Amino acid sequence: MLRTRVIPTLLLRGESLVKTVRFGKFTYVGDPANTVRIFNELEVDELIFLDISASKEGREPNFKVLEDIANECFMPLGYGGGISSLRHAQTILEIGFEKIAINTQSFVNKELITEIADVYGSQAVIASIDVKTGFFGKPSVRSLGGKLNKKYDPVVWAKEVESLGAGEILLTCIDREGTWNGFDLEIVKSVTEAVSIPVIAHGGAGSIEHLRQVVKKANASAVALGSMVVFQKKGMGVLVNFPDREVLEEVLS
Amino acid sequence: MIAIINYGMGNLGSMNNMFKRIGVKASIESQLGRIEQAEKLVLPGVGSFDAAMNRLNAITGLRDLLEDKVMNEKIPILGVCLGMQILTSASEEGRQPGLGWIKGEAKRFPRHDTLKVPHMGWNIASRESASLLTKNIGNESRYYFVHSYYVRVDNQSHSIMRTHYGFGFDSAIGNKNIYGVQFHPEKSHRFGMQILKNFSEI
Amino acid sequence: MIKSCTRCIYDENVSGISFDVERICCYCRQIETLSKDFKTATPDGEREFERIVDKIKRDGRNKKYDVVIGVSGGTDSSYMLHLAKEKRLRPLAVHYDNTWNTAIATQNIKKVITKLNIDLYTYVIDCHEQNQILLAFMKAGICGADAATDLALAEIMYRAANKHGIKYVFEGHSFQAEGVSPIGNSYTDGQFIKSVVKNHSKIRLSSYPNMTFFRFLRWIIFARIKKIRPLWYLKYNKDSAQKLLEKEYGWEYYGGHHLENRIASFDHSFLMPNKFNVDQRNNSLSAAVRSGFISRKKAIEEYAKEPVLEEGLLEYVKKRLQLSDQDFEDIMNGPIRTFKDYKTYKKRFERLRLLFYFLAKANLVPMSFYYKYCFPIKEQK
Repeated sequence: MLRTRVIPTLLLRGESLVKTVRFGKFTYVGDPANTVRIFNELEVDELIFLDISASKEGREPNFKVLEDIANECFMPLGYGGGISSLRHAQTILEIGFEKIAINTQSFVNKELITEIADVYGSQAVIASIDVKTGFFGKPSVRSLGGKLNKKYDPVVWAKEVESLGAGEILLTCIDREGTWNGFDLEIVKSVTEAVSIPVIAHGGAGSIEHLRQVVKKANASAVALGSMVVFQKKGMGVLVNFPDREVLEEVLS
Repeated sequence: MIAIINYGMGNLGSMNNMFKRIGVKASIESQLGRIEQAEKLVLPGVGSFDAAMNRLNAITGLRDLLEDKVMNEKIPILGVCLGMQILTSASEEGRQPGLGWIKGEAKRFPRHDTLKVPHMGWNIASRESASLLTKNIGNESRYYFVHSYYVRVDNQSHSIMRTHYGFGFDSAIGNKNIYGVQFHPEKSHRFGMQILKNFSEI
Repeated sequence: MIKSCTRCIYDENVSGISFDVERICCYCRQIETLSKDFKTATPDGEREFERIVDKIKRDGRNKKYDVVIGVSGGTDSSYMLHLAKEKRLRPLAVHYDNTWNTAIATQNIKKVITKLNIDLYTYVIDCHEQNQILLAFMKAGICGADAATDLALAEIMYRAANKHGIKYVFEGHSFQAEGVSPIGNSYTDGQFIKSVVKNHSKIRLSSYPNMTFFRFLRWIIFARIKKIRPLWYLKYNKDSAQKLLEKEYGWEYYGGHHLENRIASFDHSFLMPNKFNVDQRNNSLSAAVRSGFISRKKAIEEYAKEPVLEEGLLEYVKKRLQLSDQDFEDIMNGPIRTFKDYKTYKKRFERLRLLFYFLAKANLVPMSFYYKYCFPIKEQK
């Protein structure tokens, strides 16, 4: 049987690795290639890299950094950030990544999802959906690193990207990101119930118990970890790490 | 020297990287002359069955060269993921016939309530029958899978490893010098390294 | 016939060495003196350490932490954490991340501090700046290319201590386990770092936490942060320490002194032996011989073996420093220089010898600092 995937999700800002809180304040984490090397040594299941400044700055992915990352990795890799054409996707996949994550571009040109899925298969396309809860408690989808409110309901948008051909959804709750307070189970569940493709829950993981909850109660197919894998604990120093495999097996099987 | 065949399908860089990491001489080749000189071949593949067969057949002389090297010279060949599926007779995914070197067929995973398609993630492959490909491999070895179609071989003795996803399917197959793995060894850490190492020593 | 010490395995090639009438080397004598001063591995030494621990507790009473411990994931620093908790201290672990860590290092740190419930403060240098600093040292031809990391860790520990009002820093150095590092092999000071970087790179130090002379004085004279080396008082055997760490915390050994970090690993296992003909394994081996843990014969045998080099390490170094094979060759064949070729604080330390003697007596600087920095270095043959 498949073990639930636990995916360290690392944020790139230019050529550096950082970690943010609620998509805002960021802390410098270190060198991307060395960090990947460590995760490789720790034999993690999969890695996702998101360039959080590419779309905002209107630039392309940094292919050199991606090459440095890919040739350290012997596990599946996903990348998102600034992808706006099939050519970008092709270059990244040829560098050695398995999956492309599309976020901002899916609002500008949603056909891109279908285009990439048609050529490379749905399993190569992750639709990255950032969600923030508005003033009146209603969650809505954001783009451009959380800056632009698209005003879509996450469930509606999730169904849309599924129909466009995305193979998975990376669902990030902006309000929980970097807080260690646990996932937003309600939002995650509403999306997992609406689509048949796997949903990776992202934003808020602070303990193994949170992982158990989002998988068992909210039916997430996989979990993405941010702060938990780059800091010793909440509020403390940078320390690249990964939970013990046996503990994960026990909790998530 | 191991040639990783570049016919326009598949993530070749990672495969090459892993061979390099384990100290085995390998290179990505698209020229027939170079493929001709190889002592072993790796046939990658990502995408759809027909696309793969069409590409393979479209390269002048490639199909014939492969038939010669594999069926006559009997050099070892390893098909990976879609590369394994095209070693068989046919697939539900497409209309083209496969290479037919290992009799069997690829079928789509049925829609299932709890099990999503594609089969994507880490799963265990257990040894089904003895093979040079699976030397030193424990029963709890896990590999990274991502596929929507699975293979059933006609002859049970050609099944080397089995994996469970709703039901059992062949995750590695082999017939004399011809081998195939459904998972991605180049993305499966040390488990994948062991498979590639074994292949290089055949 | 190369002259070598009759007690340890240092020979006349070791920087700054001299032999007395009994053909015992000056480093063995230095350690004899230190052992006597600190009553190492005797009940008196233990009592002295207990006394220090009590003082630390008293001075840290109303603070969140009472002592800072620098950690790397290696044996000595991991053991320090264990020791501190055993003595019921409330340590703050401090880690300097030079962005070249191995997984063993970070996981070891994690395992120990999680089980002991210790907080961690980390300072991460900008990875590109670190690469340029390392490259500068390599181009300069300095033996001990990782001089910057050692100094930065010391600076970070002081900063963390100062921030939390902590007056004590534990260092895991042990002359029982590693001897005293011969001067000339690993000189480091803030002016030196700045000078090498200025002469061999285009960058200016920015995220690198440099310990300038005035910062150094600030920490030791104004903030009065004391450096304590517990392993100078207590009996310490690296093997037993490793077994204990493995058993208690699932800690893992990384194959050799400092090999938990890739810069140190590259430096000790490749750069120093191949370019400078310096193999620092003789430090820990000599120390082991002096402490009676292995025989001199065994140590010599061990030393004759090739240093362990991680698979793919050289490629990784070339990749990060963006060096072609030719560039790398050029560096390996390049000129050799020492700290004497650059601006440093050395002369200043020598002029202030008396001051540092008293500071050492007050535990504000380690006694080994006094020996190493405050005396002119004899030229090698």
